[in-house]
Amino acid sequence: MGKLIKWYFLAAVFLSVVWLVISEIVSLPIIPSPFLVAENLADIFMKYIAIHSLYSLMRIGAGLLLAIVVGLPLGVLMGYFARADKVLAPLVYLTYPIPKIALLPILMLLFGVGDSSKIVMIFLIIVFQVVVAVRDGIRSIPKETYYPLYSLGASFTDIFWEVLWPASLPKFITAVRVALATAISVLFFTETFGTQYGMGYFIMDAWLRVNYLEMYSGIVVLSFIGLILFSAIDIIEKQACHWQYK
Amino acid sequence: MIEINDLTVTYKSDKEQYTAIKNVTMTIPDGGTCALIGPSGCGKSTLLKAVAGLIPSFEGNVEINGAPVNPKEQTIGFMPQNYGLLPWRTVYDNIALGMKIKKSPALLDKNTIKGVMHQLGLEGLGHRYPKELSGGQQQRVALARVFALKPDILLMDEPFSALDAITREEMQDVFLKLWRKFEVSTIFVTHYVEEALYLGQKIVILSAGSGSISNVIDNPLFGVENVRGQEKFFQMGLKLREIIKKDWEQAWES
Ligand SMILES: Nc1ncnc2c1ncn2[C@@H]1O[C@H](COP(=O)(O)OP(=O)(O)O)[C@@H](O)[C@H]1O
Ligand SMILES: [Mg+2]
Repeated sequence: MGKLIKWYFLAAVFLSVVWLVISEIVSLPIIPSPFLVAENLADIFMKYIAIHSLYSLMRIGAGLLLAIVVGLPLGVLMGYFARADKVLAPLVYLTYPIPKIALLPILMLLFGVGDSSKIVMIFLIIVFQVVVAVRDGIRSIPKETYYPLYSLGASFTDIFWEVLWPASLPKFITAVRVALATAISVLFFTETFGTQYGMGYFIMDAWLRVNYLEMYSGIVVLSFIGLILFSAIDIIEKQACHWQYK
Repeated sequence: MIEINDLTVTYKSDKEQYTAIKNVTMTIPDGGTCALIGPSGCGKSTLLKAVAGLIPSFEGNVEINGAPVNPKEQTIGFMPQNYGLLPWRTVYDNIALGMKIKKSPALLDKNTIKGVMHQLGLEGLGHRYPKELSGGQQQRVALARVFALKPDILLMDEPFSALDAITREEMQDVFLKLWRKFEVSTIFVTHYVEEALYLGQKIVILSAGSGSISNVIDNPLFGVENVRGQEKFFQMGLKLREIIKKDWEQAWES
């Protein structure tokens, strides 16, 4: 763990140096020096940015939670019961390829321009990945895995906790990781209208005010939110799926 | 005791029906063993699954100790091809799994599992995952899992076939020792004539194609000390091969 942090630290230093060099070469206000940005960030984080980052985190968290609550049971159903898959697979496959962001105008008409439409947007982006990953994870379980349990009269609850859940967990977590990257970009976009809060709003607002230092501070914070989410997922995966790393 | 009476199993799909097992009748007495031998695809696994209660509908009867087979009522130890261990559970948890599902009170007594692990030479491996074990060790874990339950019957599908020859003979002896101790009525599937002769009191030959029994042999060599090295074991193996060959040739002709 300590070693890992050291490498992350070195990577951050390296990127900052690259940034510094570019800002020196370009020497325009649109690329300020990382030192100035760091100073600015320290100044305004608690005062202005913290509340925006909390809003963004809340929207991602709510969308993700909703996607898990809906997607996980659906994926289990489709993976385990062939008949459920027969009915649901066409539905999923027809809706999966629709670029979800294109639905944003409709979502805003249905759910308003506030939080709900933003959360539903994130939900839509993550939920399909979760459904498909969990379903495929369960399908790839060899039949032999079930037999000793069935022959002892295992209930569906037993099967779920002993087999379905642990077998699909790694694929489920990977799906969340992949979907989350898209979700963060889309969140940024949706936060540029219909709200006074969120990192998307903060960054675009700073840009319109031609306050590049604040804009960069916002970008750094948004990147950190991503980093924190990804690290959290990594830690959860290492904990929950450590049998895979043996 | 396992009683199979006029068992017929038909797989039905949208388009076709396939009768994998036809009119099979056999009895395994209390604490007896029976080897099931036959070519690939003749229905050995299907027969075993029917006895394990894994096939929801079949014709005929399967009774265990006088009652129709029911996984909820009886304790049926089933060891599938490739052992069926859960890769995400440790050795200890894999062994405890059966008891957990049966909600067996013995689970609370850690000594039961420790005892079985000791008998199978698995001490010190409890915290490992199946993929950190050799094939022979995985086989031992699978045996520990079924024997820890003190099952009413034991069903094993090609239990030792993935092992190398030396380990296989060693595991056959491990199995025999446990079986003597627990006296469980056992049916096992095998490809190997020698394995059938060494472990089966009764040897049932399933015929190719038709899915029914072609021969039942009461094995006079079962339980004889050091039988594997003896001339009569070798002779009996040849005889058995001859019977099987003749049967399969007949099946091909028809
Ligand atoms: N679930 C199933 N659906 C349809 N046919 C099956 C199914 N399982 C097995 N069979 C067929 O039944 C026959 C017997 O299979 P099986 O019992 O696995 O044979 P064995 O174990 O002797 O190799 C094979 O022809 C196989 O194709
Ligand atoms: Mg088979």
